[in-house]
Amino acid sequence: MILQSLAAVLQPLTIILVAVGTVIGIIFGSIPGLTATMAIVMFLPATYSMSATQGISMLMALYIGGISGGLISAILLNIPGTPSSVATCFDGSPMANKGEAGKALGTGVVFSFFGTLIGIAILVCLTPMLCQFALKFQSYEYCALAIFSLSMVIALTGHDMAKGLISAVLGALLATVGLAPIDSRPRFTFGLFQLNNGFSLVVLLIGLFAIAEVMNFAETVRQKQNYTIRENVKIKGCGFTMREFIGQIPNMLVSALIGIGIGILPGIGGGVSCMISYTVSKNTSKHRELYGTGIMDGVVASETANNATIGGAMIPLLSLGIPGDAVTAMLLGGLQVHNVAPGPLIYEKNGMVVYAIFFAMILASIFMLIFMLLGMRFFVKVLRVPKNYLLPIVLVLCGIGAIGNANAIFDTYAMVAFGLMSYLLIKSKIPTVPMILGFILGPMFEQNLRRSSQLISSDPIMSHPIFLVFMVATVFVVIFSVRANKKEAKQAREAEEKAAAEANQQS
Amino acid sequence: MKNKQYRQDIIPGIVLACFSTAYLCMIPKIKAFTGLGSTPLTNHFVPYLWGGVLLFLSLWLIVRGILKYRRFKAEGGVVEKTSAKSVISDKREVVASFIALALYVGLMEALGFVITTILYTFAQILILTPREKWKKNYLPAAIVAVITGCVLYYIFKMLLNVLLPSGILAAFNL
Repeated sequence: MILQSLAAVLQPLTIILVAVGTVIGIIFGSIPGLTATMAIVMFLPATYSMSATQGISMLMALYIGGISGGLISAILLNIPGTPSSVATCFDGSPMANKGEAGKALGTGVVFSFFGTLIGIAILVCLTPMLCQFALKFQSYEYCALAIFSLSMVIALTGHDMAKGLISAVLGALLATVGLAPIDSRPRFTFGLFQLNNGFSLVVLLIGLFAIAEVMNFAETVRQKQNYTIRENVKIKGCGFTMREFIGQIPNMLVSALIGIGIGILPGIGGGVSCMISYTVSKNTSKHRELYGTGIMDGVVASETANNATIGGAMIPLLSLGIPGDAVTAMLLGGLQVHNVAPGPLIYEKNGMVVYAIFFAMILASIFMLIFMLLGMRFFVKVLRVPKNYLLPIVLVLCGIGAIGNANAIFDTYAMVAFGLMSYLLIKSKIPTVPMILGFILGPMFEQNLRRSSQLISSDPIMSHPIFLVFMVATVFVVIFSVRANKKEAKQAREAEEKAAAEANQQS
Repeated sequence: MKNKQYRQDIIPGIVLACFSTAYLCMIPKIKAFTGLGSTPLTNHFVPYLWGGVLLFLSLWLIVRGILKYRRFKAEGGVVEKTSAKSVISDKREVVASFIALALYVGLMEALGFVITTILYTFAQILILTPREKWKKNYLPAAIVAVITGCVLYYIFKMLLNVLLPSGILAAFNL
C-alpha cells in the first residue's frame, strides 16, 4: 500500500499539481492578508474532479507553501504574510535592515524546510499509534473527547472566554440544522429540502474566512499603504555557513517540538507556536539581549515552529477527525469532499490516501525549499500584485467552491450569510475559530451522548477509564483557563487605568 | 475605557439573546422519535442544551456590558452618538461589497454564471479601488472581469464538470 501511494504521488500529473500548489501557496502566504486557508478555499473546487490522492496532495502543497511563504513579507516588509510569521518579523526585519535580507530569507526557508520534515516525521510515527489508541474509544470516550476539545479551544483562543464559548456554541447550534443524528428527524429545516443535510463545513469555512478577509480589506481601501519593498534580494547558497547551521540545531529541535505540541492542541495554530517558540528560544539563550536586533536565532525559532505545527495539526485531524486550526478544518472539508473519513479507521479504509498525504507533504517541502531559494526574486515581485484585482477573483472562486460542493446554488446564499455573520462577529470581538470546532464537535458530542444515554444502564461510566481521564482533564483545563482569564483581565484593567492616568496627567 | 468596549458586549448580547430565544421556541416543533431503538435523550435535548447555554451567555454579555457602561459613566466618559448613516458611510466599501455579493449570488441562477461574474468582478474591483483611481482602472477592470468570467466558466463547467448555471446563455447551448 505504501509503494502504491508513493507511485500515485510520483505520477507526473500529481507532481505538477504539488509543484503548482506549492508555488501558489507561497504566493498566498507572502501577500499580507491572504492566507493558506484562502489558498485552500480557492483551489478546493479545482480538486473536485481529481482523484482523492491528487486533490489532497495539491491541498497539502498549498498548506505547506502558504505557511512557508509568510516569511517573505515578514522579513522584507516587516508585515507578517500569515499569522504564523508574526515572530519572524522580530529578527527577520532587523536583519534585512542591516543588509542581511538574503541571510534572513535563506535561514527562514531552510529551517522552515527542516521544521516541516520534523513535523512530518512525528506525524508518521504518532498517527498510527493514536489511531490504535482511539480504536478503544466508544460513545462515552468520544463524548468526553468532544467536551475536552471544546474546553481546550475555548481556553486557548483569545482573551475573552465568554466570547470564545459563544462562538463554539453558535457553531454547535448551526450543526443542529438538518437531520438529527440516530433518528434522522429534520430539525430547523423550515421545509427547505436543501437544509436536510445541514450546512456544509466547506461553505461555512468559505463564509467565515474568505468573505470576512475581503471585507477587512474593503475597510482599508481609503487608507494609504506606506511600505517599501526591497526588490534587490540575493541569497548566496543557503545564506548562512555550515557552522552557523550546526550551532542552530538545538534551537531548531526545541522549536520544532514546541510547534508540533501546539499543532496537536485543537484551536491554536502557527501564530501561537511561533510566538511561544520565539519566547522560549529567547529566554533559554545565552545572548538573549541580542534578540530583536537581527540575529538568525529568532528567525530559526519562529520558522521552524510554524512549519512543524503543520505536522502536529495533522495528527488529531487524521486520527480523530478533529482539526487543529482553520487550515486543517479546511483540509477536513477537502477530505470529506473526496469521501475520506478521518478517524481511527482511516488506515484501514483510506490507507493509500494517508500515505499519499505523507509523501505529498515531503514532496511539497522539497519543492518549497527549491522554489524559495531559487525563485525568491519572483516571489518578491509578486508582493506587488494588486489585491483589489485579486480578491474579487478569489471570491468568485469561493462561489464556485460553494456551488460545486453539492452542485447547489443554495450553498452560495448560505456562504454570503455566513460571511455577513463572520464580519459582524469579528466586529464584536467574537473569535470565529471556536465556531468551526463547535460545528465539527457538536454532532460528535450529540451522537455519542445519545448513544451513551442508551448504554448507561448496562455499561456503567466507571468502567471507562479513558472517559474519566478526559473529564478530569476538562475540569483542570476549565479551572486553569478561568484563573488565567481572570489574571489577564486584571492585567488589562491595570494597564488601561495606567494609560488613563497618564493621559490625564498629560492633559 | 474606550467608548466602544461596552457596546461590543451589549449589542451582540441583545442580538444573540433574541436569536437563542427564537431558537429555543422552535425546538418543541421538532418531531421526537419515540419508537423502537429510540434513545432516552430525544433529539430535543442537545438543541435545548446549546440554546440554553447561548441564552445564558448572551445575558451574561449584556450584564457585563451594562457594568462596563456604568464604570465608563462613573469615570466621566461621554457617550458618543453615532447615527446608522455615518456608520454606513464610514463602511461604504464593506456595505457595497456585501450588496454586490448578494446580488451576484441572487441573480446567478437567472442570468447565468458568466454574465453575473463579469458584472460582479467589475463592480467589486472598483469597490476595492480608491475612488480617485477609478478612471485609470475602468478598462483593466473590464478586461479582468471578462477574462475571469469566461475562463473560469470554461475551466469549471467544461473541463471540471462543476454544474455552474448557464442562465440566459442556455439558449445558445453554453
